[in-house]
Amino acid sequence: MIKRLLKILEPPPGWKPAVVIILGVFTGISLLVFHASEAQSYISDKPETCINCHVMYPQYATWAHSSHRETATCAECHVPQDNFFSKYYVKGTDGLRHAYVFTSRTEPQVIQIKQRGINVVQKNCIRCHLDMVEMTRIVEVTGQNYHEGEGSRCWDCHRDVPHGTVRSLSSAPFSLVPRMPSLMPEWLQSFLKTGEQ
Amino acid sequence: MATIKELSEKKPWLNWVLFFGTVIIVFLIGLFAASIVERRSESQMYFQMVQPIPDWEPRHEVWGQNFPRQYESYKMTLDTTFGSRYAGSVMIDYLEKYPELVIMWAGYAFARDYNQGRGHYYSVSDVHNTLRTVQPQPATCWTCKSTDVPRVMNEIGVREFYSSTWAGMGSQIVNPIGCQDCHDPQTMNLRITRPALAEAFERQGRNIEHANHQEMRSLVCAQCHVEYYFQGEDTYLTFPWDKGFSADDMEAYFDEYEFTDWVHGLSRAPMLKAQHPDYELYKTGIHAERGVSCADCHMPYKRDGGLKFTDHHLQSPLNNISGSCQVCHRESEETLRQNVYDRQVKISELRRITEKTLARLHLEAKTAWDAGASEEEMAEVLQLIRHAQWRWDWVAAANSMGFHSPAEALRVLGTSINKAQEARVHLARIFGRYDVPQPVELPDYSTKELAQQVVGLDMDDIRRQKTDFKNDVLPKWLEEARLREEAYNQP
Repeated sequence: MIKRLLKILEPPPGWKPAVVIILGVFTGISLLVFHASEAQSYISDKPETCINCHVMYPQYATWAHSSHRETATCAECHVPQDNFFSKYYVKGTDGLRHAYVFTSRTEPQVIQIKQRGINVVQKNCIRCHLDMVEMTRIVEVTGQNYHEGEGSRCWDCHRDVPHGTVRSLSSAPFSLVPRMPSLMPEWLQSFLKTGEQ
Repeated sequence: MATIKELSEKKPWLNWVLFFGTVIIVFLIGLFAASIVERRSESQMYFQMVQPIPDWEPRHEVWGQNFPRQYESYKMTLDTTFGSRYAGSVMIDYLEKYPELVIMWAGYAFARDYNQGRGHYYSVSDVHNTLRTVQPQPATCWTCKSTDVPRVMNEIGVREFYSSTWAGMGSQIVNPIGCQDCHDPQTMNLRITRPALAEAFERQGRNIEHANHQEMRSLVCAQCHVEYYFQGEDTYLTFPWDKGFSADDMEAYFDEYEFTDWVHGLSRAPMLKAQHPDYELYKTGIHAERGVSCADCHMPYKRDGGLKFTDHHLQSPLNNISGSCQVCHRESEETLRQNVYDRQVKISELRRITEKTLARLHLEAKTAWDAGASEEEMAEVLQLIRHAQWRWDWVAAANSMGFHSPAEALRVLGTSINKAQEARVHLARIFGRYDVPQPVELPDYSTKELAQQVVGLDMDDIRRQKTDFKNDVLPKWLEEARLREEAYNQP
């Protein structure tokens, strides 16, 4: 079976060297992207994954100073928790959009949540705080209702939960925003600093 | 299924499709990898001094070698395309738009020419171009226009600078407002380079050295965007802040010193001209009360890739609502813009009422003089005119159409209208005494040209003098400056 597949894909003899070299380059660059973007981490729910790029740093810093850090990670609010498929569907599509926006340098200075995100977060608020907001669930205050002009989102009143009221890509008052660790190995960094190995 | 080998024998061009397809994919992934690596490494380098900057270096491009992002965004102040409802960075001929202003400034250079200022990049060339500089002016006028000012003050002394003439300094002042006006060349810390602000603080018993960073992000602007006047024989630049920041306090200050900018050409009132008390007006507003600095809205922090820096494109926040307002306010851009306009429309309404009343008032006062009114009879009227126009100017000359503090702007305009109408009540009594028929007949000043004829300006002659200046004098200044700056580069 595998042999047959390889036979189908095998390039004509004259093309072999070129194809091998290009495939090598392709694999190498893919590995670099995998390493630099810490791609393996996207499978996990660790909050640190969300700051693999710089963009979410203020969100991370404000969350890390909030009470939610004790119980809820980024993903627990921002991706659906009802079933495996919708969770990874939202995570995957959101992630690809973020990668595209960040690579093409089109991120706005102030990130605002989109409608799908509103739906997800509103649902997740109710999911955890159910014993307090049972009525809200019964009368079905969802992100979709809000969009249609009925009801309010939880954070229309709880404005600073958990990210604070003042934030942009470059400001998160009262919280230290961590800097990205360097991609360079340590020996190369110290070599560049001191001029010796 | 046919193998690639067989397919390629039948259709050899398929090989090329496969080849270039792979090349394109590799290229795109390479681009992605480079972008990630670049952004991660640039966040490591946030302060790179490649070319040390000497003290008093006035040329922005020299600073810009070290700080390309700040310099590039500063150069955006060249852009004059954005116009908001009332201002922005487009050139607006205010005399054309509000011909009453010509009457209100009769006998003063502002009646010749008064435009909405463009970006900082134009600060020197706009002064070259304005018809106000056709008459002799002191060098003090240059104080806020150029980064060459701290350099020259350091060379010849502050008092000596102020007592020179505008034209005498022409070849020294060439670089527009920029880097060293606000920054220390070694540390890039914010600093105060204009003496008047530090002196005003000292007279209030405060030390400007004690200001914290957030205060400095407003105070560097307050070096110039404030009310000031030229004191005494040597036209020493001074802020009238000793009694307080408000229009009323400054008015009391000027009255005590019996300071007068000029005597009005029609009403003969001893007038005051407000500069642009942006800082003082802002200080009374809610944003200042909550600790928001000038820079927070006019040059907000910005993130470009891995680097955070201050956007040096100084401009109306209405052209960057997402970067300025929305950091704190979660409403949509349209809502926020409308919130600003709603306030400005109301302030503009009162402002226009004041302008129409004041123009009328000056002409009516002239009628009273012509009818034979005595100085004694007119004294009260003239004082009211002085105060009314000062208060109007305090709001009108400031940028933002009052938005820096809408409630205070409306209060000051309200008192201005009241004083102007009080003056007209006095005048009505005088008209009664001298049998002047009322309402007083007024000349037509509905356009800039008509108004300038009413106040007796020979605009053709003024324009001719300006053209002569630009043809004969200005090129010499610029050439002299070029030679001086070339010498900087010699070791």
